[in-house]
Amino acid sequence: MRRVLPERPLLARENPFATGRVLAIRYRIPGGLDPLVARLERLGWRAAIVGAKGSGKTTLLEDLGLALEARGFRTALERLSAEEAAFSRGRLERLAEAARAGAVVLLDGADELSPWAWRRFLRACGSGARVVVTAHRPGRLPTLIECRTSPELLAEIARELLGRRDADGALGALAAELHQKHAGDLRAALRELYDNWADRAPPA
Amino acid sequence: MGELAIETVKGRTAFEPGEAVELIVGWSLEHEPEAVEVRLAWTTRGKGSEDMAVVWRERFERPQAIDGRRLAVELPLDPYSFSGKLVSLVWFFEIVVFPSKEARQLDIAIGPGAREVLLYKAPPGGAPA
Repeated sequence: MRRVLPERPLLARENPFATGRVLAIRYRIPGGLDPLVARLERLGWRAAIVGAKGSGKTTLLEDLGLALEARGFRTALERLSAEEAAFSRGRLERLAEAARAGAVVLLDGADELSPWAWRRFLRACGSGARVVVTAHRPGRLPTLIECRTSPELLAEIARELLGRRDADGALGALAAELHQKHAGDLRAALRELYDNWADRAPPA
Repeated sequence: MGELAIETVKGRTAFEPGEAVELIVGWSLEHEPEAVEVRLAWTTRGKGSEDMAVVWRERFERPQAIDGRRLAVELPLDPYSFSGKLVSLVWFFEIVVFPSKEARQLDIAIGPGAREVLLYKAPPGGAPA
């Protein structure tokens, strides 16, 4: 049994699921960002975007930052990952300094900090600081929004990246399979779609 | 929203490393911009995080709202444009307007024989399953 490969594979720059194209897809929030900013205000400017890995928290945090800047706020964004949380003290101090100077602080990956480091960071920001974080679990700050994904959302994004309708439902079925396989992690599912498409022939 | 144009003389988009290229850029904007910048840069595209470097730029401060320039650029010797299944390195010219950051890009290839290096080999008759 031999598998016949196409004459030439799809080149990385042609792949519809290339990182740059995926990152251009922004968070979809019913009603836009205005209600979210209003809720943030009601929560006293301290809140968390909560959700599982690959559910769009970072994208939403970036979009919220742009929305706040468009409303005249200064923002300061910092990302923490599991690998660098232990070495992030200087960056967190700079972030706290920005908070004390009036910027809205956006901290991606707050649950990478130990409870002690988290309390120290909040104290350093000052009592009136505006702080929005992302976290996998609720608890660090009042929940602003919980990010959730669905097979339908994955299919919608895939259709958009491919620039076509899903006439035969095949894409919807694949999206359902990948959504389940990756436990709702859209980033991982889209990476698998990249591999899936990389073995296909380029468009004519 | 204005109009931006960027093209090479004779419309070529594939070049030998080190080749001299003449570039024509133009813009038609509603207001005079703070600046217009023309860049030559490369970026990676594909799976995983992307990298980018600007290797040449020319900036025009306070140009007129409707204007254009003809520029001469010597292309670098490397890295070559290349593409495989996982990553491509793509060169491009770019015109960027400030402060709006409106931009337009023109992808080009730089490589031996004025071609992108392709990193795959289709096996004759297909591959074992």
